[in-house]
Amino acid sequence: MSETAGLQRIRVEDLLQRDSWDVDPRPHIRLNAEKCAGCPTKPCTRMCPAGCYVEAGGSIVFSYEGCLECGTCRVVCPMEAIEWDYPVSGRGIQYRTA
Amino acid sequence: MGLTIAVGIKWVPNQQAVRFDERTGTLIREGVTSIVNPHDLDAVELALRIRDRYGGKVVALSMSPPSAVKGLEHVIGMGVDEGVLISDRAFAGADTLATSYVISSALRRLGGFDLALFGQETIDSSTAHIPAQVAGWLGLPYLYYATEVELDGSGRKVIVKRMLEDRAEWYELDMPAVLGVAMKSQLPRPVKLSNKLRLREENPIRTWSNAELKLDQRCVGLRGSPTIVAKSTWTPEVPRRRQILEGTPEEAARKLVEALFREGVLR
Amino acid sequence: MHMRFDVVVVGAGPAGAAAAYAAASGGLKVLLVERGRGAGSKQVYGGKVYSHYLEEALGDLKGAPIERWVGKERLSIVDDAGRTATLEYEGGSTRAFTAHLTKLAAWLVDRAASAGAVFVDEVRVDSLRRDPSGRFSGVEAGGELVEADVIIDAEGVNRLLLERAGLVERASTRDLALGVKEVVRIGEKEVEERFGLDKGEGLSWILVGGVTGGLPGGAFVYTNKDTVSLGLVLYVDAAARAIEEPVHSMIEKLRTHPALHRYWADGDVVEYAAKLTPESGYRYMPRRLVADGLMVAGDAAGMLLNLGYTFRGVDYAVYSGYMAGRAAIAARDRGGPTEENLRELYEEPLRRSRPFRDLWRLRGVERAMEGGDRYFRRYPALMGAALRSMFELGESTPSIYEALRGAAEESGISIIGALVDALMMARSI
Repeated sequence: MSETAGLQRIRVEDLLQRDSWDVDPRPHIRLNAEKCAGCPTKPCTRMCPAGCYVEAGGSIVFSYEGCLECGTCRVVCPMEAIEWDYPVSGRGIQYRTA
Repeated sequence: MGLTIAVGIKWVPNQQAVRFDERTGTLIREGVTSIVNPHDLDAVELALRIRDRYGGKVVALSMSPPSAVKGLEHVIGMGVDEGVLISDRAFAGADTLATSYVISSALRRLGGFDLALFGQETIDSSTAHIPAQVAGWLGLPYLYYATEVELDGSGRKVIVKRMLEDRAEWYELDMPAVLGVAMKSQLPRPVKLSNKLRLREENPIRTWSNAELKLDQRCVGLRGSPTIVAKSTWTPEVPRRRQILEGTPEEAARKLVEALFREGVLR
Repeated sequence: MHMRFDVVVVGAGPAGAAAAYAAASGGLKVLLVERGRGAGSKQVYGGKVYSHYLEEALGDLKGAPIERWVGKERLSIVDDAGRTATLEYEGGSTRAFTAHLTKLAAWLVDRAASAGAVFVDEVRVDSLRRDPSGRFSGVEAGGELVEADVIIDAEGVNRLLLERAGLVERASTRDLALGVKEVVRIGEKEVEERFGLDKGEGLSWILVGGVTGGLPGGAFVYTNKDTVSLGLVLYVDAAARAIEEPVHSMIEKLRTHPALHRYWADGDVVEYAAKLTPESGYRYMPRRLVADGLMVAGDAAGMLLNLGYTFRGVDYAVYSGYMAGRAAIAARDRGGPTEENLRELYEEPLRRSRPFRDLWRLRGVERAMEGGDRYFRRYPALMGAALRSMFELGESTPSIYEALRGAAEESGISIIGALVDALMMARSI
């Protein structure tokens, strides 16, 4: 692929497209917006390997679809604002070569 | 007694994982996993709801290579009672006509059914032909975009609701009938442990090859497929305007909505 | 349907599959429950497995999906400027192989199923159930209960079930590391040419320093048949405080690192994966590995050794799972899986075992590593500067002592301090 050939970094959205998914229409992660709003450091924005947590206008915009199911957000969240479980029915990330 | 509800599922390459190789101009299929065509899960869910309400059984059929057993196992995990894998090298390379011929023959072989449900279309070809053609082969009433199904008092007819863009319609159909289920109209239920255990204990999946169906080789697979791909082209790339809307999120959102109205995207 | 088994194993990773294999081999009725689709679809690790405990547990590795036997070990220290010092070891006998855990786990599950275990996929267990006496008596999934004489919890590093059962606290960031990796396809010939490998030979390469931007942790490169697994391991606590750019950007920085990218140039990134891992197995270990009717194995039990240059997770997981499966058999013959019996038959033998004693003996290494900046930024800088003045010669030729002294001045690190650190490190080990 041309974009991986050179030194150019792949954006996380494109990186996640290299994976295979069967996303559950029901979210497996819930964010407590109230608790989240009081967070001074928001480590999820840097520590989530899938970039699922993005800061916009002072609050967190969150999506569960690209979740790699590692569980990092749950442990780094200082507010314990993330209700986290694995997806059901074998949905979510489908690893092939990890 | 109860109803016998057949539901067709297709084992398709997970489209999301298919990438396009710009150097060779071809699709990269290597390492791409397959899934049950997502729109077929709407049909499975509707079939299960009908069964749960009126009793009977749901039989899932899939004309696919043997690896599609994984897909049948998934829907049995959801609660489907039986699976039929229709698999034979002779069926490979089929277009929708040859496919619907095989599927309708398999439905006949089931020995009577009341409803045959299909997803609206598949993510790997989007023709939406199969349910219509199956109804054609079997000479049965057919309705598409179905979202809800009820039995009438006699138990011989169904009342089917379908959603169109601007209205809902209700139809009364004699059974047996064939329905195309509207995509995203149902929320497929999760897989259950007891269903998966039943799968392991009873193995309710049969495989039918052409030895069972005994269809004329000229009518199935590549030979039975009149469709020829004459040409394929790329959809033209739409240039992006890369407009950035300034302001607070609220202001930017307002500007975006205004722009969408201006362009006629929103009315 | 009445659902009852002798043993229910939660999680079909290396620990769970080995547990199911062992228990089923002893004639127990075993259910192995996995949340993923098929076996292996949720499995992530670095890329290398030590074979000893797998062979011990399984008897052989027949049909195992081995990519390459590791014949070359490399350890590199990289400074922020990209200057690299590398130690390479080869010519020994090989004790480890590279593999995709997705495939290795599937192979282990096949072995368990062949031994008679019932494997069920696509089912997420939601809680461990206790009977009124407090004994663990089954697991609950999607509102359904399956009963068991004994449960083997191999749920992995995120101990949702053990937390809900009140057996462990929510994990601290100080006890965890985050691994992210990419699998890059470059071709079989390219793997061998670019890494200087014989046919079928594998490379295991650990890098520290500038590759993590000075954060505590390291990077790894493992060669598979026609792909390369490259990744980063970051200590979660330090990273959460000091990381400057997102993790996904750091792994891309590693892939495009000027000193490294040539190895996989033109390669196609075919997968991107992430996993939490115990930073120190010993600290992560639950206070008790057994309860009445319950045993804990694998990552959930903290059975993972991380020395910075060596990671043993999969083989320890298999080992602990195998021990748990064997204990389930022995407990049946000894009056049932009471807490006392399981302690005697699983926890105590495990605590006396070599892997466990190593975890205990080597505990604290990761703590020394938390010295952070010194180990991961300043010592690499010292090394880079020293080697530069030794090898990049112009007018004058410094002695080693002069090179070191110059480098110490340049990097602002005292040699004495470095020696003290080295001693402290040695003592902590």
